[in-house]
Amino acid sequence: MQEIRTARFEITSAHVFVGAFVAACAVAAALIGSFPLGASIVTIFLFAGVHNVMEFRYFVARMPLRWGRSRLFYSVGIGGVIVLAGAYLTLYFASGNWLWSSESWAVFAASWNTALVLWLAVLFYLRGKQRPKSDWSWAFPAAFLLAALAWLVPQYWSLALVYIHPFVAMWFLERQIRRTKPEWLRVYHFCLTLIPFFVAILWLSFASQPNLSQDTNLFWRITQHAGSDIVPGISSHFLVATHVFLESIHYFVWILLIPLIDRRAIPWKLGDIPLFGNKNGFPKLVGLALVVAIGVVVALWAGFTIDYTVTRDIYFAFAIAHVLAEFPFLIKML
Amino acid sequence: MKRFMFMAAITMLAAAAAFGDIARPERSPNRVTKPTPRVSTTMEIMMNKNAKEAKLLIPKSQIKQLRAELEALDDDSGNTAAVSGGFTRLQTIVSGTFLSLAFIFGGMWFVGSGRSATKGGKALAIAAILGGIGAATTVVFANVGPPPAARSITSKLFDQKVFSSYGFAYGKITIETTDGNQVKLIVPATSETPASE
Repeated sequence: MQEIRTARFEITSAHVFVGAFVAACAVAAALIGSFPLGASIVTIFLFAGVHNVMEFRYFVARMPLRWGRSRLFYSVGIGGVIVLAGAYLTLYFASGNWLWSSESWAVFAASWNTALVLWLAVLFYLRGKQRPKSDWSWAFPAAFLLAALAWLVPQYWSLALVYIHPFVAMWFLERQIRRTKPEWLRVYHFCLTLIPFFVAILWLSFASQPNLSQDTNLFWRITQHAGSDIVPGISSHFLVATHVFLESIHYFVWILLIPLIDRRAIPWKLGDIPLFGNKNGFPKLVGLALVVAIGVVVALWAGFTIDYTVTRDIYFAFAIAHVLAEFPFLIKML
Repeated sequence: MKRFMFMAAITMLAAAAAFGDIARPERSPNRVTKPTPRVSTTMEIMMNKNAKEAKLLIPKSQIKQLRAELEALDDDSGNTAAVSGGFTRLQTIVSGTFLSLAFIFGGMWFVGSGRSATKGGKALAIAAILGGIGAATTVVFANVGPPPAARSITSKLFDQKVFSSYGFAYGKITIETTDGNQVKLIVPATSETPASE
């Protein structure tokens, strides 16, 4: 007996996702490439604080009520975030202090970078110990190698962190898709392969453009943040456009895509958060923290309106905490 | 967990109290790009078999013009931040130590991992280490000087084979002022250059 099957093409949610992703990237690349400085100012104003709240909300939702056998991992993770963020802020705010020469500042910065990679190595190692048949002690030689590079070429190391940070969000999304939306995984991997393609288009379009204006303090900071002082041979137009493009994707990952695929990340569904909904949880503490976080976003908007440049500097100084906080949660998801 | 949260809160409060009264540094107050002083002129290049080393002759009038432009600008050291080349001694020692540790721990892991590490993991680690070494090598070679022919300013530099392979050259030069109105570069002529053939 023969069975006749008809293969029909159906538009699935995965197809809609890939179509929306490609269209959004194309529009973003065109707009950002055309107005890199304006796009940088607008995206940070609109999304910087909001994405931090969404990240915080996501991390709170992932935090178990009882740490159990992950006690050491979370202790090292959260302890590292506090110590490294405190040290970073100390370095940042003391860098203009007359007590510190530029040489000593460079040594402290390299030491901080070394502490960061060693902390990450410990987290990988601890996570490897929790996984059956896994030996993640390779993290230590890898960390030593990275530490050597951090001392050899500190400026390139710092710039690498700036450009790697957006990809951490994309990695989070990949892990989350594996857990809650596996049918999107293939198309998401396809979307990731398109990002170098869009960067290549930015390169072809803007690499030969003259450097962006540095007439104002704000413009100088934006171009410097994108690495124009570190790689002066590359047009700052391309650097700023690429940086803003990647940052914009990472904003949308946190604000839109992760809540879209993870019920527990939907901002108003607090009942699904173990620390909030469980009878042994800390609902008042979590609620208060979220209210404070929303208040900080409103304060940021007010600050940007009053003095954009100063608020931007303060924001990026304190934003190191969220950059650091991502690592323990990401490593825990591996 | 409560105890940990309490300790974290105390640490953050202590940090805030300790550094709360340090004023935020203004890294570049009212930074405005200033024009680089420049004088447009013409230059004559001469090869001289009798010259022992290169000589750059600059007309006094143009030196005066350049000086005047320099004086017109504020002496802003922030705009003339020196770009230091090479590595400090501390950088070399610390990075060398970490590279050694990477090799030691990497070797220990590679030998000791046995069955517990996957082939993919091993391949990834080897690729990372080779990539790191490659990056370090790039950094080291970036500081290697050009070939001997490009380490002195002679007529050899006008040979594309000598100059284009490295892209830059350097060497000892004497700078003098003259009464003329044209910058003049006198380079020792060597017998191996196409010009002298």
